[in-house]
Amino acid sequence: MGESNRNVRDVYGDYATQVIPREELKSTLNIFMVYMGVLAVIAAIFAGSGLAQMYDPSTTILVALIGNAMLAVFGGLIAYIGGHTRANTYMILRYPLGRIGAMIGSLIVSAIPLIIWFAVETWLFGITVNVIYPGHPLTSIAAASLWGGLLMMLTAYYGFKAIAILSYITVPFWYALIAIGFFAAVDLHGGLDALWSARPETIAPLGLGITYVFGLYASGCVITSDVSRYGVKKWSGSVAWGIHVLVFMTLLLFAGASMTLLTNSPNVIVAIAQIGLGIGALLLAILGQWTTNDNNLWSAALAWINITGKLNKRQWVVIIGIIGTLIAALWGGVYGMSLEPFINFGVFLGYFIPPVGAVLIADFYILSKFVLKREYKFGPGTRYSMVNIPGIVAVFAGGLAGWLASTYGTPLPTGIGTADAIIVSLLLYLALTIGFHKAGVKYEVGVWVEKPTGF
Amino acid sequence: MVEVRSFALASLTLMLVLGAVTLALAPLTGHYRGSYLALFLGGVIVFVSAVYLPIIYLRKASDVRRIAVPAMQSLWVSTSMGLGYVVTALAPYFQIKLWVAYTLFIIGWIILLYGLYALLKISKETGVPLAV
Repeated sequence: MGESNRNVRDVYGDYATQVIPREELKSTLNIFMVYMGVLAVIAAIFAGSGLAQMYDPSTTILVALIGNAMLAVFGGLIAYIGGHTRANTYMILRYPLGRIGAMIGSLIVSAIPLIIWFAVETWLFGITVNVIYPGHPLTSIAAASLWGGLLMMLTAYYGFKAIAILSYITVPFWYALIAIGFFAAVDLHGGLDALWSARPETIAPLGLGITYVFGLYASGCVITSDVSRYGVKKWSGSVAWGIHVLVFMTLLLFAGASMTLLTNSPNVIVAIAQIGLGIGALLLAILGQWTTNDNNLWSAALAWINITGKLNKRQWVVIIGIIGTLIAALWGGVYGMSLEPFINFGVFLGYFIPPVGAVLIADFYILSKFVLKREYKFGPGTRYSMVNIPGIVAVFAGGLAGWLASTYGTPLPTGIGTADAIIVSLLLYLALTIGFHKAGVKYEVGVWVEKPTGF
Repeated sequence: MVEVRSFALASLTLMLVLGAVTLALAPLTGHYRGSYLALFLGGVIVFVSAVYLPIIYLRKASDVRRIAVPAMQSLWVSTSMGLGYVVTALAPYFQIKLWVAYTLFIIGWIILLYGLYALLKISKETGVPLAV
């Protein structure tokens, strides 16, 4: 598996439409470090702040552990598919959704959310600049978001090597900085006793927090294959993903929640500034956001290339960068420093993205293995259906079910919106495909033959 | 080929020594916050260097890729902790005595700059990308 493109030129770069050749594979530790680098964003700490507005510390740990355990299993299963096939997300989706369906799936999973992520990180950049240098028109959240977003877009466009290297060496200390920030907050605000007795005015239901945690990284779960496809072992990505999300995501959420509970500041950047860790630490936080956002732009561009097959990466970087920057500037101008849009975004992600992963799991582990007895294959000349109707139906039905369960309390298996969305999608996909298959009804429409470029 | 191995071993040894110096400065910082900072950052540098040194030492000199990858992983973490000293040693929260703070600040810069140099040199000579 995965050797079919040995002599095919990598037209789009980073094997965007091809499987990874054997000589490019990396160790499990390398895969783990890549995942850790992706997790090193201020947004992860801000997510902890969001939890602090819902729970006390012990409940925060419980909610984070349950949510992250679900993420570990869900993402681990998908990561294994990438490790097995050595193909990225947009490629493996061609089987459960069809070639056109995979484009729709890419829109849901990456192309649109990554624009929003770019906007969110740009907005957080504006907040950080405003905290460090308040009181100037150019450092208002809206203004800083605007020029910050444009700068990020330019560095992504030109690919400044110096910033890439700085970002690379920032990551390990970034984790140390969060640990230092946590202990400093505990030290300055009454110690561990104060932490364990701190709590918000009202405690939210557990299901809401679990959905929130799951939704924060659900998109990441579905695209784990983009990294795990490089794993030297089929299971490299699954193990790396599981450890980083279960251990480190939980610690980051708890650290963010603790800093917020102890300092009474819903903004972690403000908390770090209040603690007195120095402007250098804040600048590091900026750098982390800057370079992560460069990656968001590049990944979004990759997704749009896979969807349209038109324009090049740089052109997409400019288009997406301008859209994201405008969203961020408006966000900063309209909402000020409220975390509400970020929390809403995290919860919203929990509805429609996980179903894409659910149909992928159902197709790879059950339908393909036990019913159709097929292997995922890629390469020029490979034939895919245009649209796999049950896949598309299951994704939207599952997302809708999750939304109904969370918003209107519709009684579904778990009561946790995201989990319900996954279960409904998975079962519906299997019921439809196996049912149609047994009945001899054709459920895949059209034929797409893979081009020499892999598109 | 032998040069990559010896350069990697020398670089990690230098990191180990500099990390140990900052560890030794921990009790002299004058405040428990500064001590914990030096123990933490210095401890990470010493630990990661001590773990990776024997790994590289036991690998064949001709296997440059299998030498470069662990060397760069170790240097990556050490360099990052050096950056940590640069941005935190003089921060008011830690209340470190001025001469110790400046010593840590300078050692931080040495670790940071040498680490960057070593990372780029190993990457360039072995063809292993920085993102290992």
